Amino acid sequence: MTGTIDRFVIVGGGTAGWLAACVMAARRPDLAITLVESPDIPTIGVGEGSWPTLRETLRTIGIAEDDFLRECDASFKQGSRFDGWVTGAPDDSYLHPFTPPPPDDMRALLAAWQDTGPHGSFAAAMTPQAAACARDLAPRQRAMPGYAGALNYGYHLDAGKLAAMLRRHATMHLGVTHLSDRVTGVVGRPDAIEAVELAGIGRLEGDFFLDCSGMKALLIGDHCRSAWVDRSDVSFNDRALAVQVPVVPGSAIASQTVATAHEGGWIWDIALPTRRGVGCVYSSRYMDDDRAEAILRAHIASHVPGADAGSLSPRKLSFATGHREHFWRGNCLAVGLSAGFIEPLEASAIVMIELSLKALADNFPTSSDAMPIHAERFNALFRYRWDRIVDFLKLHYVLSARAEPYWMAQRDPATIPQSLANQLVLWRDQPPSTWDFPQIDEIFSAASQQYVLYGMGFAIPRAGGSNTVGAQARARLAEVHERARGLVSALPTNRIYTDAMKTTATAATAQGENALP
Amino acid sequence: MSNHQILNNAQHADLRVHTHADSALGDAAMAALVVPDEFRKVQAEYPILFKRDAGSGSFSAMALLGFENGENLYLSNGKWDARYRPLSMAIQPFLVGRPADGEGEGQVHVDMDHPRISTSGEGTRVFDETGQPTPFLETIAEMLGSLHVGYERSAGFYAALERHELLEPFSLEVPLSDGSKHSLVGFHIVNEETLRALDADALADLHGEGHLMPLFMAIASLSHLSGLAARKDARHTGG
Repeated sequence: MTGTIDRFVIVGGGTAGWLAACVMAARRPDLAITLVESPDIPTIGVGEGSWPTLRETLRTIGIAEDDFLRECDASFKQGSRFDGWVTGAPDDSYLHPFTPPPPDDMRALLAAWQDTGPHGSFAAAMTPQAAACARDLAPRQRAMPGYAGALNYGYHLDAGKLAAMLRRHATMHLGVTHLSDRVTGVVGRPDAIEAVELAGIGRLEGDFFLDCSGMKALLIGDHCRSAWVDRSDVSFNDRALAVQVPVVPGSAIASQTVATAHEGGWIWDIALPTRRGVGCVYSSRYMDDDRAEAILRAHIASHVPGADAGSLSPRKLSFATGHREHFWRGNCLAVGLSAGFIEPLEASAIVMIELSLKALADNFPTSSDAMPIHAERFNALFRYRWDRIVDFLKLHYVLSARAEPYWMAQRDPATIPQSLANQLVLWRDQPPSTWDFPQIDEIFSAASQQYVLYGMGFAIPRAGGSNTVGAQARARLAEVHERARGLVSALPTNRIYTDAMKTTATAATAQGENALP
Repeated sequence: MSNHQILNNAQHADLRVHTHADSALGDAAMAALVVPDEFRKVQAEYPILFKRDAGSGSFSAMALLGFENGENLYLSNGKWDARYRPLSMAIQPFLVGRPADGEGEGQVHVDMDHPRISTSGEGTRVFDETGQPTPFLETIAEMLGSLHVGYERSAGFYAALERHELLEPFSLEVPLSDGSKHSLVGFHIVNEETLRALDADALADLHGEGHLMPLFMAIASLSHLSGLAARKDARHTGG
């Protein structure tokens, strides 16, 4: 069957569905896009931390940064901090910032860092971002053009509000049709969906179907029978207790996600202007729910000023770690939780949605002839990406020296993928480089690997190279230091930034300047 | 109105200054004072005109930014559209002050009533959390020094111009494409004929004191008048 592909059907709202609707409508205005969303199923906010990629995505969609920040209760995220991952001692902390080290030979930079006498952390030597994060500073000034920054950044955001904003934008400005109805069945062969059956409206036909139905995977799993690839042998965590904690007005807003290790997992802490999202991630094999809840409450009591830890009621989430064997089958592509899930340790959920949509929009098939070729390429690329995520998250555990049974088990060689074991052998000889991560849009670049490796105290490879190389590297690090001095004096705190933005918006609205587009 | 204070890291520990270009921050000026030492950089962007102070009768140089009061044609959409800003603008809200007894080294003063003084927590810090000057203050101090030295040295320059009668009154009509006209009066420029007629002794006098270079820089800078008029016309017709 040769046919043109005009009718694009998205099953499921939420972050994945509405991001897909907006991106595809903005980039492929020739498509007739319909999103069907069940009215009675609450969506899971897939993570509240984004990658820097979200800036480009929002710009492409046509949303102004100020509007996004205000409507999604968002703040800036400049990386992740890992507390207690190496030994669990009070001073055990390292940063994985979004801004890469200076573009120079990493071997020489490492030697220069070690040479500088009693040196600070790897991240602080390699980027001014560490100094900004340590002071809760924003990565930009309000006078800068939208989405521009002095330092690389993504966002912390309210995922529910993001989906709502994207829905408004998709339906009001991008011509997306929104149906509120329940999917009761799927019509067609597993490799060629013809339509979805809706409880109220009846049959909804399409040429291409996007499965954004979340963990239920209505199309890719139930209908297309793409198998589930379990990755829990490597990634142990399968439970989370999540809670939102209101914050005191005027309180500091952290510049990074903080992941604090505990005896059987870790705790996320994501600061928004009005609340902090805190969650205890653990493995049911090593910890029961009561113990996890006690750890969560103790953490909130000691880390969130003014919080009444006793009055909070955490929500329990159970999840399977893994992904589909095929993300794309026939005329159906899974995006979001339907494609796969892994613990949110490096906030990979939203960026995987964005990467999937970029791959789809860049290569959208105009006829069904090209479809199998695109599907094969997509499946190979995203299998590669999932493997890299699994490896990178595992790296955080493998380099730990913690002695609890959970942590010992994480370091059992039988649970370490061969690809990661090979990289670790290589990295004893040479620092991570683009030779190790040669793809375009690598999800975790060599810079990310370096920040984790040397943040956790991995042995520095023997220095090589000439004196000239060494002098140049020292000059680079001196530049980083000077730039840090300049930036920390010029950037406002996150709190000042978001509060000032709200004040300005209120004043502009009062004067009638806030004309709607 | 001004409220000058001697800058110090105790009283001004948390002082922040707005550094972006904005008419509300004092950038809406039709001219900025410039000193001969910076003419080389100024002439790359702005016309340099001379103005006689009605009171003292002494000359000073101005970079022309617009054709009417409060008009800075280099300012658009929160950006200063030039690679160089005259020192006298770039140092605001700081200035060089003298100790109360009028003796000794110049001090950095700050005008706490200047619109560039931030009260919102935004803007650039002057001292870091340990009380050390930030790179911003280091740059400001350097510029204040240059401006101060340049100002002291300018007296000799203007004396030489007067000695050789090198300045002549200047007026300019700026025709706009809608038929209206703007006129610019009250400035002086270098009289090129007088300059050309100077003899070797006079030239040696000017050259020996380093005045020849800024003199020619000022002449060259006048080529920017047409560019400035074009900016005016574009803004005028653009509404």
